[in-house]
This record gives sequence, C-alpha cells and structure tokens, in this order.
Amino acid sequence: MADIVLPEYAPNVTPDLLEGPAGRPMSYWQLVGWRLRRDKVTLAAAGVILLIVSSAVLAPYLAPYDPFQGSIRLRLARIGSAGHLLGTDEQGRDMFTRLLYGGRMSLVAGVTPVFIALLTGSTLGIIAGYLGGRVNMLIMRLMDIFYAFPSVLLAIAISGALGAGLGNTIIALSIVFTPPITRLAESVTTQVRAWEFMEAARASGAGTLAIIRHQMIANVLGPIFVYATTLVSVSVIIASGLSFLGLGVSPPHAEWGLMLNTLRQSIYVNTWVPALPGVMIFLTSMAFNLLSDGLRDAMDVRL
Amino acid sequence: MDGMGKRGRGAVRRVLGAMGVGLLGLMLSWTAARAQSGRGGTLRIGMTAADIAYTAGQPDQGFEGFRFVGFPLYDALVRWDLSQGERLPDIVPGLAESWEVDPADVQRWLFKLRRGVKFHDGSDFNADAVIWNWDKIRNKDAPQYDVKQAGEIAFRIAVIKSYRKLDDYTVEFTTTRPSSFVPFQVVYVLYSSPAHWEKVGRNWQAFATNPSGTGPFKLTRLVPRERAEYEANMEYWDKNRVPKADKVILLPMPEVTTRLAALRTGQVDWIEVPPPDAIPTLRQAGFQIFLRSYPHVWPYSLNLKAAPWDNKLVRQAANYAIDREGLCKSLLNDTCTPATGIVYPGHPWFGHPKQTYSYDLKKAKDLMKQAGYDGKRVRTSFLISTSGSGQMLPLPMNEYVQENLREIGIDVDLLPIEWNTLTVWGRKGFVEEHAQTGALNISYNFVEPFSAFVRFFHSASVPPRSVNITGYINPEADRLIEAAEASFEAQVRDDTLGKLHEQLIDDAPWIFVVHDLNPRAMSPKVKGFVPPQSWFVDLSLPWVEK
Amino acid sequence: MWSYIVRRLLLGIPTLLGVTIIIFGLLHLAPGDPINAMLPPDAPQEVVQMIREQMGFNKPLPVQYWRWLKRVAVGDFGNSIATRRPVLSDLREALGNTFMLAISAACLGFTLGVGLGTTAAFAQGGWLDKVASATAIAGVSLPHYWVAILLIIIFSVELNWLPAMGIRSTSGATSAWDLAQHMILPTVALSLIPMGVIMRMTRSSVLEILSQEFVMTLRAKGLWSRTITRHVVKNAAPPVLTLMGLQFGYLLGGSVLVETVFSWPGSGFLLNLSIFQRDVPVLQGVILVLAAFFVILNLCVDILHSVIDPRIRRT
Repeated sequence: MADIVLPEYAPNVTPDLLEGPAGRPMSYWQLVGWRLRRDKVTLAAAGVILLIVSSAVLAPYLAPYDPFQGSIRLRLARIGSAGHLLGTDEQGRDMFTRLLYGGRMSLVAGVTPVFIALLTGSTLGIIAGYLGGRVNMLIMRLMDIFYAFPSVLLAIAISGALGAGLGNTIIALSIVFTPPITRLAESVTTQVRAWEFMEAARASGAGTLAIIRHQMIANVLGPIFVYATTLVSVSVIIASGLSFLGLGVSPPHAEWGLMLNTLRQSIYVNTWVPALPGVMIFLTSMAFNLLSDGLRDAMDVRL
Repeated sequence: MDGMGKRGRGAVRRVLGAMGVGLLGLMLSWTAARAQSGRGGTLRIGMTAADIAYTAGQPDQGFEGFRFVGFPLYDALVRWDLSQGERLPDIVPGLAESWEVDPADVQRWLFKLRRGVKFHDGSDFNADAVIWNWDKIRNKDAPQYDVKQAGEIAFRIAVIKSYRKLDDYTVEFTTTRPSSFVPFQVVYVLYSSPAHWEKVGRNWQAFATNPSGTGPFKLTRLVPRERAEYEANMEYWDKNRVPKADKVILLPMPEVTTRLAALRTGQVDWIEVPPPDAIPTLRQAGFQIFLRSYPHVWPYSLNLKAAPWDNKLVRQAANYAIDREGLCKSLLNDTCTPATGIVYPGHPWFGHPKQTYSYDLKKAKDLMKQAGYDGKRVRTSFLISTSGSGQMLPLPMNEYVQENLREIGIDVDLLPIEWNTLTVWGRKGFVEEHAQTGALNISYNFVEPFSAFVRFFHSASVPPRSVNITGYINPEADRLIEAAEASFEAQVRDDTLGKLHEQLIDDAPWIFVVHDLNPRAMSPKVKGFVPPQSWFVDLSLPWVEK
Repeated sequence: MWSYIVRRLLLGIPTLLGVTIIIFGLLHLAPGDPINAMLPPDAPQEVVQMIREQMGFNKPLPVQYWRWLKRVAVGDFGNSIATRRPVLSDLREALGNTFMLAISAACLGFTLGVGLGTTAAFAQGGWLDKVASATAIAGVSLPHYWVAILLIIIFSVELNWLPAMGIRSTSGATSAWDLAQHMILPTVALSLIPMGVIMRMTRSSVLEILSQEFVMTLRAKGLWSRTITRHVVKNAAPPVLTLMGLQFGYLLGGSVLVETVFSWPGSGFLLNLSIFQRDVPVLQGVILVLAAFFVILNLCVDILHSVIDPRIRRT
C-alpha cells in the first residue's frame, strides 16, 4: 500500500484554551465545532452522506419495489419510464430500488473495514509507539510486509483466497487498511511520547488526566480519525472494484460495484442506466473526501 | 459503316448488343464466382480466452484450445468434417486414410496412415511419428514425455490400452474393452514433429514457440498473452483444405465490452461471444451474426443425496417450472434454445422422451404437491460461477432461474465462486463442505457418447474415476451405456443412446435449462465461413475481402 | 547516511521473504491449485491427482516453498505452470508494458496535478480554486475502471478516434505512433487518481508557504521576484515530491483494473491472470519483483525526505 497516502505528521501541543473568533477564549472542541459550522462545503458533504446513509437505512420504506423482483419484459427500461423513474436493470428490477439497497451493501463494504482497521490499527500502532523497542520493531516490520503490496492487488489476492461474499470483502479490506493506520498511529504516538508536555501543559494550569486525555485525543486520535475518514472513499471504490471483478458481494444482492459489473454489457442498449451505480459510487466517495477535508481543516490537524 | 445501309447498321447494332449482353453476363458470373471462391486477406479473431493456448501439441484451455490452436496447427488420425452446419459433423479420414476393427478381435483397431504427408519442417509423417507422439502422452520414461500434454489428453483416450507399429504406414491400437467409441477418442490426439523436437534441442518450451505439425496453418509469431500469427500452409496435404485466408491473427480478449469495441472499431474481423444485448445493434450496423446449435448444454447437476433433490417428483417439478423461452428471448437475445434434455431435439440420440418439460407452472406445482411439499417452502443452494468458458451469462441466468423456482416454493441461495474453484467441485462432487449443496451449475459438451452420457451416468464413473457427481446409479442406464459402446453399428448405437436419453430425462438428475447457440459476430468482409454444429471450426474456410 | 541505507536494504530482505510467504500461503489457502486450473474442466479427479504427483505439487507446502526459494536465490524464477514459459521473460515484458503506462500516467497526472494545485493555491478562495479543487476531488472519487469503460465507449466506439484495446495494432504494426495511440485512453484513466492526490498536496503545500508573513506582505505590495518563486518551490516541493514517489508505486501496482478493461498486457493483467490460474511461479515472481521495487522506492522516498527536510532525524 505504498500507494495509500501516508504523509508525515507533525503534532503540536494543543493549548487548553484557544483563541476563538473575536478573541473569545474557547476550548478545542468548541473551536472545531465553530469552524465546522462555518464551512459550507463540508456541511453540504455531511448532508449528502447523511442523505445517502439514511436512504440506505430506510430503504425498505422508501423503495417502491422489491429489489429482487423484476419483470423480464421490462428489462433495461430507460430513465424516466413509466413507473420506473430511474429505469430498470437487466433483469427488469427497478433501478431506484436497487440503488437504495445497493447503498446498504456498498456503505457497509466501505465503512466497516475502515472502522475495523481503525480499531486494530490504532491499537497496534499506539502499543508499538508507546512500548518502543523490540515490540515496536516486531509490529512495524510485520506491517512493512503488507505495506510492500499494492492495495488493490492485496485485496484481490485475499478475496481470491477467501472467496467472494460481503464478509470476506470486509476481512480483505480490513487487512489492507490496517497497516497504514498502524504506521500513522505509531508515528504520532512516538512523537507525542517524546515530549515533556506534562511540564508544558502543567505550566498552563490544567490537571494531569485532563492533559493526557486532551493531548491524546487532539494529537493522536484526532489525526488517526481524520486519516481513517480519507480511507472510506478509497474503500468504497476498492470494494466496488472487487465486486466488479466478481470477488465481492454475491448476486442477487444489490451492490453498486456488482451492478456496474452486470450492467456493463448492456451499455450498448441503454447508455445511461448502466452509468447510474458509477454515479452513486462517485457521489459517495466525493462526499466522504470533502467531509474528511473539512474535518481536517476544522480540527487543525496538519496532515 | 457508310456502305452498309440501314439493314447493315441494324445487324451491327444487334451484334454489338449481343456482345454487350454476353460481356455483361460474363462479368456477372465472374463476380459471382469470385464471391463464392475468393481468397486472401488477414483474418483477425478476438477470442474469449485470456491467453493463447499451448502450441506444442495437445493444447490446454479445453475445447477452445483445440478450436484455435490444436486443429489449425496440427492434425489427428481422423477429423470432424466442419464444412457444413445442417447436420452434426461426421468423422472423416485425417492423417489415417482408413481404419477398421479386427473382426476376429473387436478390441483391436488398425489404422492405415496416409502417405506423402510432411510436417511443417519438412520431415515425414509415418507410423514412427505416431508411436513417438503416443509415447509423448503415455510413456513416462520416454525423453519426449510432456506431463502437461499428457494431463490434457489422458481422460479423453482412457479406452485405448496399447499402441503398436505394424509397418511404416499401419498402426494398431488395442482397447480395454470392446468400444465403438475409439474414433471419437483418437480425434483428439494430435501429432507433433519428432524431427523438429530434436532440432530445437529436445525442449517442449522451445518447440512451443517454434512448433511443427501437419496442420493447415503454420505458427509464424507468438507473443504471450497478446497475439499468435498464423500463415497458410500452402503445401497442406489435403488440397481441399488449403486455407483461403493468407494469414490468421489470434488475439486474446477476455473482457466482453473490449471485444465488442474492437469489432465495431474495425480492430478485429471476428469476435467470439458478443454480448447478447449488443446483437441487434451489430446487425443494424451490417455485421454478420452467426448462431448455430452445437453440442452444449447448460444444466444444474443435482445432488441426488440431499433433499429435496432426492425426490424424483421435485426434480421433474423444477424442470417444468423454468420459462426457458422467456430466458432465451429476453436475457439472451435469442442466442440460446431451450434444453429439455441433455442433447437437443433433432439430435440422433434424442429419442422419444415422455416428459417434455415445457413451461407449465400448474404441472410443476402439482408435482410438488404430490412430492409432499404442499404449501411448504423448501430451501436449497446452487454453487455457480461468475464467469467461465461455456457458462454464458451465469449471474443473470441464475437469478432468472432463482425467480422461476421461487414460484413453486423452492428458495435458492446462490453461491457464486470463481470458475476455477467451481471446476474443483465439478470434479470432486458433493462432498466436504458442499455435501448438502443442492446443485452445481457447470455447462457441458456432448460431442461423443462418453462426454454426453458415460462420464455422468454410469455407476463406475463416480469420482475420482470420472465425473458422475450427482451420484446417479441406475442399472438400466449402465446396461444401455454398455450396449451402446459394444455396438459397432451406428444406427443401433444411436437408437440405444436414444433410449438412454429418454430414461435420463424421466429421472431428471439434472435441471435442463438451455443450449447455447455459439454466437459469433464478424465484419461483412469475412466470407466463406460456415458455422458447424460443433465446438470447433474449420479456419481454412473463411477469407477476408479487401 | 550510508549505514542507514545499508541497514534499510538489509531490513528489506526479511520484508521480501515475508511477502513471498504470505502470497504462497494465500494461494494455497485458495481452493483449487495450478494443476486444477491447467487441466480442462472435463478431466476427472484421478487425472488431476496423477499430474499433481508427477509435477511435484503433492509435497507439503513448506517443502515446495523452500525449493522455490532456493532456485530464486540463484536467479531462476522457474517456468509458468500454465504456459511453460520462463517466468522472467514474461515478467520483463509485462513489467515493461506497465512501466510505459505508469510513466506516462505519472507525467500526465503529476503535471496536471502540480499545475492545478499551484493555480488553486494562488487563487485561493476564488472560483478558479474551487474548480481546480473540484477536479482533484473528482479525480480521486471516480471509480477509474468505470471511467475507462466510458472512455472506450465515447472515444473508441462512438467517435472512432482511438483504438479500444491492446498495446499495438491488431494487424501487427509496430510504429511509435501506433503505440502512442493505444496508450492515450489507458493513460488518461490511470492518471485520474495521481492527478487528484498530487493536486491536493501541492495546493496545501504551496498555501502553507504563501501564508507565511513575509510572502503575504510581498504579494500584497505587488512585489514578486524570482527569489520568492524559488523560495516557494524549494519549500513546497519536498512533500509533493515524496508523494509523487509513492504515487508512482501506486501506478505500478494498482493498474490491474485499467489493464483488464483495456486488455493491456502489463503486470497487473498478468497478476490477475495468474491469480485466476493459480500459477504459483508467475505470481511469486511478479509479486517478489514488485515488492522489491517498492522497498527500494520507499527507501528512496525516505532518503529524499530526510535530505530535503533536515528536521527529521534518522536514527
């Protein structure tokens, strides 16, 4: 995964009290919230994500048809056909319904691995960074091995070995994303550990536990979290890429990558319907990218 | 002219007119003749394979390997006559002029070899070459033994016990039991040049890049995963089959949309398996679409040991529940025909089955009721692939069948796996973690009686011997199979196989779905191609107009 | 410095070993083995068994691995199981093809990325910035294999301007112009992600410099000189350059989807094919070479970074 972006991170001691707008003193989180509220683009991105997620969750209530029932006679109907606003797929199933349900699979396939990698990666990385020495060497060299693989290929190899299916895709992608998160976690933990921030923070007059919690969150968990959100968009794309190759979700389930796969042969009959799942992947990925950018700016995480 | 007078001028005009008509007629017939018997051009073929098959002799990639590499570059003792498509191809003489069974010992076959045949490198083809090649695939101690080629062909020639040279142009084979299937087996054994193998340093890999067979084409260039270039063998021993095209270029194109784009942009002249949905637009744009029945069937091999498939009534019900016409018309754009048996109607082995397996939901539901599933839904699972040679469009087709079966109370879980992995289970059968799986979806060929029936339905064919994975044991079927094999008269054999077929349709160890029609698309400039009722084609027939 | 380099290279060896062990393990975890993939689907199990024994694939895994390792140590990567051709020659050709694509996608993507990024930084907040940023985000958010298909449909099938697949003309032409034509569409599809990533990094990097007090003052006063330009470039370049190095690694390894769509005979295509065929020698060989390349690439990037940015201490 040398291709997954992992830049140098230089943490800074975050004061307990920051200067907010108009010189008002604010706590770190208050400032983050204030910044977010003023960032229109990030808010819009968050709104889009909320829309996509909620429509996926509420799919059974919003969908006009059953995602598995189709009428072969009506296959590949155009966008705007009677009764099928977004057309039908190659089996005659309503596209709007399939896109809604597809969102469930794609989002799960996109977010879950990152979440799992976040947990395992941070744990491994923080332990490695905190303990240093042999343990650090062992963990980091192990991660190096995975890091020497291109992410797409590693995902394909693992999926090929485990077989198709949503569960195996999630496992494969979790393995793919853990090393970069581990690396980042180790890096920030090592640097934070090296400070004498206890003295520095105490000088600003705060309690020990508060200091640790504050510094840890701001300087360790913060960057890790922001980095993880950038991985979600990559994850959505790779997950759909796996389905595209036949290694991801199995039919007849709806998943955007799988739909791209099965519809691509129909591109000569009906050009726009096969493009729809691609559009959804694009929107979701883009929204997550914008959101993570906004979070990074707001949390003043210099990644 | 002046001195001719009116009558004279009229006569001249008439003569000139006659000459004109004559000339026109001559031109027309000459063009027509050219259209029928032109030659030349370079034929560029976009194949579904991801790489060029093994070129050293016995090809890999199954029948696709024979189609584009094996049979063009090499010959066998006998061959399929692929010059017509109205009926099933006959087996006709190839490198053997004639063959016969010894009337005194029906396990002994004599093949008389053709004289004057030369390999591409100029060396002679004779009985020594034949024995050398059989050693190549059978004799582990021979220096020319190639384990890869041996593996590819071993099961196809299982009935041949021994081989012996009688004289320079006569070879004798003996069989393990009396079998009329011998020509169907030796048609797959190809002959590489022993002299050339010595010349390239006794190395099969070197031979593969610079091969020498007896076939109608010579390999001039091989770029792995990219292209193979053939040129016509103008000294080919069969003067009727000297290729009409000058060159053939084979291009692997596994990605279907890429293949289609390549044809439409003129990068290739011929593609295998265009996407069915694109066929109407291809026709409109003037491309030729070829469809022909061939010995292919797309079924579900049922696990006869797992419920509900252990119940014959359920199996028949499932067969009545599938809307095959709908499937072929809608999803596959008429590139398939309904399959109500292993072979298709009109085939000599079809017989007169009692069960017709038309689309009859009422009958299907009645059968389910009789089987004891009245109102009760039953769950089962099908192991399917995401792609694969002969599998057609596995995902959409399986979803379609899933829908059909749901109507009669059978809920199917589809388990898609890689094609490669599916073939593993296709060999092992319903064991280990798939002991309770309901069916496997693998397409099969029925080129000859062994591949149509023996390997699936004889009691001795259970794995690992062969691929009777359904576990179908029926003494009557065994008897019919053995009788057919021992019968050396074609008509009697076909009738026996017909009776076997009727029995199998009734017992329904498979759910029969469709027969593929082998769709191909070609540019209008390709002439002379005849789609045969076969997995193979005769590449010496077509040529490309300028 | 030299001891650091040597140490890193030595550490690379266990990494490479680890890589090969993992791939070997994954391949054998996968159901189906090379023999199964090599034989026709009709072949029964007993034939598979027989061939497996003859070719030595029934030995226990560690034994097979050790034999492979011994041969690789002397430079013999063995032969492909599927094609019998030597792995090295296939590898050389495939990697060469991917390199061609990677380099041109890198040139296109990096140039566009740096250009858009600097433009956006200088026009910060304005509409130009927004457009450039949107382009970059689109680049990293689009599924590139899908874009590849769209490009084929638009430019190849509909407009017939460019060839739809392959690396050279089907009739066998070998001119440079022919090659260039075949490279255009795959290059564009592949360059989207690097373009987006580099653009964002360039933008933020340049912005950081531009937001320095004295630079802002000079800009406000309308005083700009070559010295300042040099200052900006020298300080904004390091993170961008290191990222370029990493992205080149991505282009080499992540091209599999684009190569599949275009039937481009590169290492991604080869890898996909060999995973599918369970062709162990080919897979091991390609992965090993790619991983070795990444180890060296990572090392170069790290060295470059520490040379340019002396704040980072290397212990």
